[in-house]
Amino acid sequence: MLEGLVSPENLSLSYADMSVPERLKWLQQHQQQEVLSLSSNDSPDLLQILQFHGSNNDELLQSTFSHFQMVGSGFGTNYNMGFGHSHEAMDGCISRTSSCQIHPPDTMGVMLKNSEENRAISLKNKRKSEVKTREEEKTEKKIKVEAETESNISNKEASSDTSKETSKGASQIQKLDYIHVRARRGEATDRHSLAERARREKISKKMKYLQDLVPGCNTVTGKAGVLDEIINYVQSLQRQVEFLSMKLAVINPELELGVEDLSVKQFQAAYFTNFPVVIASKPSVMVDVPLFPLDQQGSLNLSVSNPNQTSIDAPSESWETQSQSLFASVLR
Amino acid sequence: MQPTSTMNEEFLKKWQMGLQMFRPSIDNASVSERKRAIKLSADVAMASLRKGTTCWSRALIQKTATEDNFLVRQMLSGIKEETLINKKLPKVMCHRKIVRRSKKILMRRKSRSAMEEVAAKAKKLVKRKTQGLRNVVPGGEFMSNNVLLIQETLDYIVSLQTQVNVMRSIVDAAEAGIER
Repeated sequence: MLEGLVSPENLSLSYADMSVPERLKWLQQHQQQEVLSLSSNDSPDLLQILQFHGSNNDELLQSTFSHFQMVGSGFGTNYNMGFGHSHEAMDGCISRTSSCQIHPPDTMGVMLKNSEENRAISLKNKRKSEVKTREEEKTEKKIKVEAETESNISNKEASSDTSKETSKGASQIQKLDYIHVRARRGEATDRHSLAERARREKISKKMKYLQDLVPGCNTVTGKAGVLDEIINYVQSLQRQVEFLSMKLAVINPELELGVEDLSVKQFQAAYFTNFPVVIASKPSVMVDVPLFPLDQQGSLNLSVSNPNQTSIDAPSESWETQSQSLFASVLR
Repeated sequence: MQPTSTMNEEFLKKWQMGLQMFRPSIDNASVSERKRAIKLSADVAMASLRKGTTCWSRALIQKTATEDNFLVRQMLSGIKEETLINKKLPKVMCHRKIVRRSKKILMRRKSRSAMEEVAAKAKKLVKRKTQGLRNVVPGGEFMSNNVLLIQETLDYIVSLQTQVNVMRSIVDAAEAGIER
């Protein structure tokens, strides 16, 4: 049934590229598989492969895994369901896999057959493709593409506070993460087109982030429209900078932005204007709201003109005096 | 991802530091001189926050270095020179007219279905837009692939947002102060 599951000649690897965190992941998988009670001896490496899927939170992985249908008797799903009970990380996969009939003896036998090949595979680091051919219409293929850790990046960018730098730094460190791409029906399955497809999906993912960032991009569909909006937005931001710097030059003849001694935070807070500011629990600044978030307060009502009468729950008592001196210097 | 308060603070600090350089020559008589000083120091401050990790920041620093080398040197005293140089991509000089003409001929030879034509036009449009994006983002020419371009755009947009936020709040405060 599973003949041609793996054709080792298609695999090409560079073991030397394995980096430390990668090895840690390897070890982690090894440890994970020991936890599994079911027949871990027989085909530890098939397990590894699927654990690798499970441990990755990548959306792409999981979505592709949802299409995962093994040969004939739904081997893969059985496999998942069989092994997933004792392993939490697989639950994500399980929930997405379609239900199938379970024939444990058959699957075990099949797994046994392929254990050697899989061992060979799993030991290797970087794979271009595994071709699995069947008599039936669907051709399925796995590509392990050496790419940035998509899961890390997607997780990190999902949380609003992480900077681009850290995600990029992390991606540079953990260079290897496998992206499983499944070829759809009727699509080419050779190496190049699949690598291209992986690249394209990366790009579309990044474009989605851009869409969230640029206001008003959600309505437009298609790459060209989104790119257009982005270009306009960037240009408008640049023009704003020009305009604001011109305005500052006019208003502020001494080029004085503030007093050096004060901490910058207090300095910022002093620049609040009259209207009451409701600070959300999560500090975030939109372009249209010209306010700095303060971390602590619930709501601020600062009147800039009368530093004597500042009615805030100030972080420090010396606030008032300092803000007075601030304004003295700025307004002159 | 939105600009955070720490980013705002850091930018403000660096910007102030940059403006200090211009303080001695305070009799910048014309508004344009002052505006130039403000803008340049703001740009370098924004770019220096990235410490040379992103392509656009390096390109921006290089750009301002051509205008005011001294300022750049002072503000970036802590950073090595090598990190700031962008690798130049091998550029193939192509005459646009010749390329266009040969493309037209090729197109004529190929037999096209309706779907192919639409797809080809869409691709052309996307290509044109990405080229437009490269023109807008500083250092766009140095980004070899589209993935990098989009990453850099993301980062650049966030930095621009912090810059605009800080400047706007300062202007607002200064205005409010003047109105008294």
